[in-house]
Amino acid sequence: MRIALVGNQNSGKTTLFNLLTGTNQKVGNWPGVTVERKIGIIRGTDFEIIDLPGIYSLSPYSVEENISRRFLFEEQVDLILNVIDATSVERSLYLTTQLLELKVPVIIALNMMDIADKRGIKFDLETLEKRLDTTILPISALKKTNVFNLIQTIKIGDYRRNLYQHIYDHELEEAIKRIEPLVETKHARFLAVKVIERDVLFQSYVTDAIEKIVSELEKKYLRDMEQVIADERYRYIEMVRDEAVEAKKDLLTTTDKLDNIFLNRYLAIPIFMLIMFGVYYLAAGPVGGWTVEVVDGLIGGLGEWMNSFLVNVGASPWAVSLVVDGMIAGVGAMMNFLPQLIILFILISLLETTGYMARIAFFLDRIFQKVGLSGKSLIPFIVGSGCSVPAIMSARTINDETEKKMTIMLTPFIPCSAKLPIITLFAGYFFGDRSGLVSASLYFFAIIIILSSAYVMKHVLFKGKTSSFILELPEYKLPSFRYIAYDVLTKAWSFIERAGSVILLASIVVWFLISFNFKLQYGVDIDSSMLAFFGKILSYVFYPMLGELSWAASVSAIQGLVAKEQVVGSMAIIAGYTSDVGEGNLIFNSGIFGFFTASSAYAFMVFNLFSAPCFGAIGAMRQELGTTKRMWKAVLFQTGLAWILAVLVFNIGRLIEVIL
Amino acid sequence: MKIRREGRTSLSMLKRGQRAKVIQLNITDKALRRRLLDMGITEGVVVKMKKIAPLGDPIDIELRGYELCLRKADLDMIEVEVIS
Repeated sequence: MRIALVGNQNSGKTTLFNLLTGTNQKVGNWPGVTVERKIGIIRGTDFEIIDLPGIYSLSPYSVEENISRRFLFEEQVDLILNVIDATSVERSLYLTTQLLELKVPVIIALNMMDIADKRGIKFDLETLEKRLDTTILPISALKKTNVFNLIQTIKIGDYRRNLYQHIYDHELEEAIKRIEPLVETKHARFLAVKVIERDVLFQSYVTDAIEKIVSELEKKYLRDMEQVIADERYRYIEMVRDEAVEAKKDLLTTTDKLDNIFLNRYLAIPIFMLIMFGVYYLAAGPVGGWTVEVVDGLIGGLGEWMNSFLVNVGASPWAVSLVVDGMIAGVGAMMNFLPQLIILFILISLLETTGYMARIAFFLDRIFQKVGLSGKSLIPFIVGSGCSVPAIMSARTINDETEKKMTIMLTPFIPCSAKLPIITLFAGYFFGDRSGLVSASLYFFAIIIILSSAYVMKHVLFKGKTSSFILELPEYKLPSFRYIAYDVLTKAWSFIERAGSVILLASIVVWFLISFNFKLQYGVDIDSSMLAFFGKILSYVFYPMLGELSWAASVSAIQGLVAKEQVVGSMAIIAGYTSDVGEGNLIFNSGIFGFFTASSAYAFMVFNLFSAPCFGAIGAMRQELGTTKRMWKAVLFQTGLAWILAVLVFNIGRLIEVIL
Repeated sequence: MKIRREGRTSLSMLKRGQRAKVIQLNITDKALRRRLLDMGITEGVVVKMKKIAPLGDPIDIELRGYELCLRKADLDMIEVEVIS
């Protein structure tokens, strides 16, 4: 049996999915698009459940809704499990009225009953079930209430089959009845409604006979049929609501009280800045920095232990080097900031689940609107301080195509956690006491560049287009520990997987190129290695921002393509080859990187910050932008801008150094 | 500016706490209009102007038991009749 899980965003769908399936999940993408596709097996059964994207409707206008309706319409689905937020039944049932039109039984999980109870919302379930002719189970996914019953109901198959349907007025229902036998599909009623709506994606089903019925209807109503149908659906829901739902009206809820503070005209921005400061203090600042040191120590210890272990068992020098200098040094450089990343993931998850993230989008929209972005762009930008990949994917919530594209292209400019080690390394060494200030200046720099790039793009590339902003403002919720733990672990795990695959492979490749020359001789002088050869060609590109032809810095920067932290990893590997100082700052005390000055250090940071992101993020851009051509445009734009900015920074910096 | 009947205005002109009934959606963009319909802004629905963003735009309205944020420019195109 195959079950589709459908519901609005914020309906608690994901929590219920995790509860129903436990660890029995697979994550992939929908065919052709990057929207996440989660499949699981319901505990204690062999029923497959598919988590569809959170949607409000089955319209043809958004990617998520399109995927959902294509899946429901074209694939074999035996049951739809529709999750509804009991605190906003009216809007939730709108999607239900569309699901009921498919020839598939629907069970409604009336979720968040605990909150509805507290708020004094009462349901006459019997009437509600009768009106919709479907089985309704009140549950609370968060409190795990009644979920067992839900599974039992599905297992036994004891649910209504929603055969009786009469939602629209007489004329419409008559027309639907006439169209139904004329279409060749299992979901005749669903399709009949779609052709009446003049849905663009179902035009191929319109025969002359159907056309006649639809145009007759249009003449009768003299209005857009899409609107008539929406009106009728809500009219029916209002009727059902009046009969079966009782709610107290106009209470000043906790959310309103909190919003009086968080959205206060004078307090909103200072509170936001305070919260953001807290996030960076914990993730990127002193606390995060401390965790890096701890892990660094552990990995250093592991390297030494592995070194002596391998030497003791009699491994050949090149094998020892491969494991210690290649694998452990490369992957270790990335693992260093896993704790930092986990802190950041926890904080972002907190901002999202409490409902504060939506507020940020709400009150900053005005600023972003000015430069042609959306308040929703802020979500990718904040998530982007962790990792660009999920950030680029989260740009999907932006309704407007232009705003979405611009956000996707600009998100990689945000210093992601993988760029932090670069900043920490250079700022720490060259700017000493002022390293905090210098790191902060880079964030500030990034914001300025994002806003001005957006402004230019909006006024040059996408001239004269208007856009809109539609955002549901959810209620404040206490965070659920279980949900956050799940969310953070999933993200952290995918990071570790990447370190174990892409980064490991890249580290081995770098180690190979650096350890061998073109005659494949091991242990050659580093200047005659293969890596040095490629680097020397590249070094001309980097000369204007470094003031030095450095093959080592050039190859390291290029490795940012694999993963930004690999820049530091590569520098560590190369420096390790040329000096055997284990203490102090190995990288900048080594002859090979000794040429760096404050100006070239800052310029090098700027280049790495703005240039093309890692392959993971480029892949995400490719999928979200839709075409390879747009991806190349984005990558060239980013790298070109990075080069120009870095050269400017270096020369201005050098000028200042001369004057001082 | 179109001439409107007595008591009629656009949704963007409501004051904080005011309620109004939606009369008409004057939106030509099909995708946007459908989106608003899907979110429950249908003819006859009663909405309440709830919160204004600290910078004056967007605006948060309450309808059908939940809250929705929209920009002033879009609210301009929704014609309403003020109730209270």
